[in-house]
Amino acid sequence: MSSSPTLGNGLSKTAIAEKSPTHLIVQMALRDVSVLFRTPWIIITRALAFIIQLFVFAFLISGLIHIPGLNFFEYYAVGSVVATIASISFVIGYDIFEEAEEGVLDYLLTLPIPRREFIIGRALGGAMRAIIYTIPMFLIVAFVWGFTQPLSILTALLALFLLAFGVTGMSITVAVSVKSANRFDVVLALLELAVSRGSTALYPITFMPFYVSLFAPFSPVSFAADTARMSLVGFTLDLPALAGLVAFVVIFLGLGAAFYFRRLEGGIYG
Amino acid sequence: MITFERTGKRFGSLDAVKDFSITIKDGEILGLLGPNGAGKTTLMLMMGTVYRPTSGTITVNGFDVVKHPNEVRRLIGIAFQDPRVDGILSGFEVLNWHLKMTTTLDKDERRRRVEEALKALDLWDSRKKRTWLMSGGMKKKVEDAKILVQRPSIAVFDEPTAFLDVPSRLLVWKMIRQLRDEGSTVIVATNMMDEAERLSERVAIVNKGKLVASETPEQLKGTVKGGEVLELTLDDGSEFRPDMLTKFPEIHDVKKQDNKILVFLNSGTLLLPKIVDTLNTQGFKIESVKLKEVSLEDVFLTYTGQRLE
Ligand SMILES: Nc1ncnc2c1ncn2[C@@H]1O[C@H](COP(=O)(O)OP(=O)(O)O)[C@@H](O)[C@H]1O
Ligand SMILES: [Mg+2]
Repeated sequence: MSSSPTLGNGLSKTAIAEKSPTHLIVQMALRDVSVLFRTPWIIITRALAFIIQLFVFAFLISGLIHIPGLNFFEYYAVGSVVATIASISFVIGYDIFEEAEEGVLDYLLTLPIPRREFIIGRALGGAMRAIIYTIPMFLIVAFVWGFTQPLSILTALLALFLLAFGVTGMSITVAVSVKSANRFDVVLALLELAVSRGSTALYPITFMPFYVSLFAPFSPVSFAADTARMSLVGFTLDLPALAGLVAFVVIFLGLGAAFYFRRLEGGIYG
Repeated sequence: MITFERTGKRFGSLDAVKDFSITIKDGEILGLLGPNGAGKTTLMLMMGTVYRPTSGTITVNGFDVVKHPNEVRRLIGIAFQDPRVDGILSGFEVLNWHLKMTTTLDKDERRRRVEEALKALDLWDSRKKRTWLMSGGMKKKVEDAKILVQRPSIAVFDEPTAFLDVPSRLLVWKMIRQLRDEGSTVIVATNMMDEAERLSERVAIVNKGKLVASETPEQLKGTVKGGEVLELTLDDGSEFRPDMLTKFPEIHDVKKQDNKILVFLNSGTLLLPKIVDTLNTQGFKIESVKLKEVSLEDVFLTYTGQRLE
């Protein structure tokens, strides 16, 4: 007779499973990533839309804009990958808000996963999803402008990932702190507008209205766009911008989420 | 062992659960019986660490649900009243993912358990169907199956057979009993008398957030005086007053619901002619008479003053 529990014949109860935190984080993250692969046509259509936007709109604009020492088309191409990743990263907040409304969040909260791991997993999943989603666009840009330096590509990807991770943290924080659906939509839309449009992703500071140029240098999207461009085009490391990105991630996964834990632990309905 | 101690939950100005105390023993099947809005779901969600009690405490195997939620979550599995399944996933995927999150079973074992449950619940042929395409009953079975495959130490089923057809109800009941036989403590919230009676060893009657009684179904019936119930239907009961019948010492209680009169008594067969006589002299016309043993339904009525529909 075997002393281990028999599982096939349905005659024994499952032992309490204590799983490693990393394992649980990865499982949570994969859940969000897998959504993407269930609807692959979204990736394809988005990549097509991106190509059209880039080669029609940006090409036309770049004919109108002449800045000495700047290839605006290239500037715009890299920047739009960064802007795309920021806006995709916001989606996780909508997902979680919807889960809360449908009650799936209640279910997830009964699973044996500590709240901290839950949030890190969701933010990570949202970020991985955004990266995977933009990879085709990144490849197109890299191919057209001949970015082949492995180290600069890695640096650019790191910047993109940090941006995505911070934005998902921010989006999740908003998702759980705003209770009304209408207000949630407005807050997220404004936030998205503020961080992505009010940044140097698509236009250099000199082209911005004065009031935007005041805060654009401090947008995390600017940090990521500047880091990506400097490493891909200039082969240099924009350390202050990278540091800014890390700070952004830490602030929203740490501070924002800490406030969020308390809220969740009490039950999202008070 | 699970202990609710003077547990309460307020939503705004509403006491969804109030001063609720009960101890649930290891390995028992407890039925939480109460009408809609009684507070059953709120009780289960507090125990499952989703809601936080606003007063009192709940401990699960010694772990306080507020202070040690992570330990509690490892012990409990809840099958929700309204299925909580990702619409984009198939039944198979929902169950497999649930096992990934709650157990350390390897891939083959997960597969075996899921297959076994899906087959037993007659869902195997539609295992690849996305759950948002499923009927309410199928989705409900997938929800129940989550906990049936998980086999947690404490298994909670919130109205497990609502919207299920009769064969499916019997299947689910059988599997819930099996789960208990394997060693799980089982809590079943229900508003259906037959479910409480057939499934539970102990029934806790909940009404308006409060625990009204908790005994075995047999004991509960014993607490209703007399042991027999006479159900009379009058053509017009508006003039009827219970004191017209309580003068007989064998009659312990009389309840009126529109034209239906419930008389709790003993020696019903001997008393019946006298009762009929009394009512006729008062000018009531009796449409039907039924004499029966006390049922859980009658218990519920005497404790809460209302009927479960
Ligand atoms: N999240 C909530 N917010 C406000 N009121 C709630 C909430 N959940 C339940 N209630 C109220 O609490 C009471 C008990 O509900 P519930 O626990 O769902 O009862 P049951 O499961 O017995 O039908 C009801 O009056 C219900 O409207
Ligand atoms: Mg309920």
